[in-house]
Amino acid sequence: MNKIISLAVAMGFMAGMPAFAAAVPPQEQDKEELKLQLPKPMFIGTPRNITSPNLERITGKPRGAFFVPAGTKLVSLNKPVTASDMQPVIGEVGYVTDGEKAGEDGYFVEFGPGKQSVQVDLKAPYELQAIVVWHYHSQARVYRDVIVQVSDDEDFITGVTTIFNNDHDNSSGLGIGKDKEYIETYEGKLFDPRGVKARYVRLWSNGNTSNDMNHYVEVEVYATPTQ
Amino acid sequence: MNKKAFAGLFLLTALGAAGFRLADLDLRPVHHDEANQALKFGALLEKGEYRYDKTDHHGPSLYYLTLMFARALGRNTLAELDETTLRLVPACFGIGTILLLLLFIPMIGKKAVLWSALGLAVSPVMVYFSRFYIQEALLLFFLVAAVAALWRYLLKPSWGWAMATGLFCGMMYATKETSVIAFGSIAAAFLLAHLTMGTREKESAQTRNTADPQKQDPGERQTERSDRRSRKPRSGIRWAHLILGLGSALLVSLLLFTSFFENPKGWLDSLLSFKVYFVRAGEGGFHVHPWSYYLRTLAFSKTGSGPLWSEAFILLLACVGGVAAFHRRHHDNRNFPFRKFILFYTLFSTAAYSLVPYKTPWNILPFYIGFILLAGCGAASLLDICRKSLCRALVIVLLAAGFFHLGVQAYRGSLDEPANPRNPYVYAQTSPDFLKLIHRVEDLAALHPDGDRMLIKVVAGPYETWPLPWYLRRFSRVGYWTDAGEAGGPGEAAVIISDTEQADRLESLFNKSFLSEYYGLRPNVFLVLHIRSDLWEKFLKSSPGKT
Repeated sequence: MNKIISLAVAMGFMAGMPAFAAAVPPQEQDKEELKLQLPKPMFIGTPRNITSPNLERITGKPRGAFFVPAGTKLVSLNKPVTASDMQPVIGEVGYVTDGEKAGEDGYFVEFGPGKQSVQVDLKAPYELQAIVVWHYHSQARVYRDVIVQVSDDEDFITGVTTIFNNDHDNSSGLGIGKDKEYIETYEGKLFDPRGVKARYVRLWSNGNTSNDMNHYVEVEVYATPTQ
Repeated sequence: MNKKAFAGLFLLTALGAAGFRLADLDLRPVHHDEANQALKFGALLEKGEYRYDKTDHHGPSLYYLTLMFARALGRNTLAELDETTLRLVPACFGIGTILLLLLFIPMIGKKAVLWSALGLAVSPVMVYFSRFYIQEALLLFFLVAAVAALWRYLLKPSWGWAMATGLFCGMMYATKETSVIAFGSIAAAFLLAHLTMGTREKESAQTRNTADPQKQDPGERQTERSDRRSRKPRSGIRWAHLILGLGSALLVSLLLFTSFFENPKGWLDSLLSFKVYFVRAGEGGFHVHPWSYYLRTLAFSKTGSGPLWSEAFILLLACVGGVAAFHRRHHDNRNFPFRKFILFYTLFSTAAYSLVPYKTPWNILPFYIGFILLAGCGAASLLDICRKSLCRALVIVLLAAGFFHLGVQAYRGSLDEPANPRNPYVYAQTSPDFLKLIHRVEDLAALHPDGDRMLIKVVAGPYETWPLPWYLRRFSRVGYWTDAGEAGGPGEAAVIISDTEQADRLESLFNKSFLSEYYGLRPNVFLVLHIRSDLWEKFLKSSPGKT
């Protein structure tokens, strides 16, 4: 009985083979998968433990000159700041516009994890010429989902202009951004608002490559009076 | 201290130590060195291949011992392995080291053993590196076992202790070739302890078998009784025992270094490795630190606005224990040379490790165990000195506060902030952000027609490559290049991972068809994930964000 079953299975298998072969495209019937020998990783000892900033090496060339209309002034110094997290983990909200840009502890404000924002009220509408942001620069970091928006509306419901957005996967939910991520340096990141008129500047971030927290050393807004 | 109280307290200490060492072993991202070791072990697990490398990665014991754990847990391939399985090995040896302290009861007494066990259980550095898949926890275990066996042999010579001493010395050598520093320190300490023995100590050592057992604690009286049963005149080290010990050490190291005789030159290579490690120790490279690095790290460490880390409590107690080693009245005659031995071992090994320019925090373990034993003796001595109950209560409260503070730091260091650069034992540690890169790659592979067979190109320097091979172990088509030119264009690769240096060069080959994301590998070191546009579009459609 077992022999009969085995014979039937074998015959069925042989009968099925041509059907299987027919299913394979003709040009691939006499081919086989090219199995590439990929290079293996090199074993190597403990890497360098970098504890001090080495920003020059990472940033490469310094930022070039940025030209603004004559009469452009810093208009954000000591202007009121609000934040999505008004009880920072470290520092105070006011650090954002206090004019101190040192990288050491004591000069930055740390907000809680995840998506957070700060908003600077320039107290009057201006034609914005440059926005420079220092998130944190005592260590090389990339801040995620950096979004810079300006508006004349304090609640950012109407008249919102997005200056910069590198939230490429829309994880912050403000729309997909096409701008690139960047490494924080002592130079800060300069955003070009191209003279857009606004009173409020709002900046978003969503953690960074070192931890999930959000930091600001300083935000500077350079502008000219409205025409 | 009665037997039941001791047993209960020691058991509690061991359980606490196990809790610190076994909880959430997969919490910390895999370190570069751990990944190297894991991949080497993977070859042994899957193909039975292990060849001792005299230039790096130390001895073979870690791999062969891991094999036992992996088999017991039913892990037969690299892909089946996980962080918990690997880190279970050092964690179990870390707990084992505490249990080994029981062997020191005849030398330092139950109280000192108990305090030492508590120090070892809650020491932040000991806990941290007992959860780290490298050789240090194993080296510490074999070091403590070898010293215990040696002194038990000296108390009561027997072929068993002779063989055990040899076996554990052999395992020390097969764990880390640099164990020669510990061997040298043991020999020098032993010699000095012998030389500094006064006439009275020598006499009491000779007549110790006739000492009044009522003056010792019950555990020691038991040993004393068994000593009297043997009642043989002490004859020091016997030649047959010496040969047995040396033979055991040689055999175990020979078996492991030669991969059980499959690689006959492995043992010779282990000797040749001294040249490599000697040069490395002198040059130091990335890892040159000032002589005070270890003691400073242990005593006081604070980075920026981060919390204070300190094991100064152990260091201070060790000073008390060191002073007590020279004061006869605080312990019985038999303990006297051993405490001196521990003191000298601690001094010699700390000096040796501190003078070597090459320093990494895990090298603290082999000499810090001396401090912990001395601290245990110090704590016991302090309580002995205090005869009044108020004074004893005050000392107990201070000791409890000190050990509690260590425990808090151990928790913070290993379970709360195990990858925070402000933790002094975090050294070239993989950033948690790196795990986001791995999750992204896994998400992309799930959308790719080839799934886990998706071709992934890694173009990064060797120091920026690890621990990628560990985390990408379940992908069957991963290639590693160190130069963008050699890697060629993207070809069919939809995912390329590079370091920042190679990223610029790769972008010129991509023709803007890739999107790039930064991820932190270690502090100040980034990896760039390049994703082909079509796969990225597919990803965005599958997970459209919050809007």
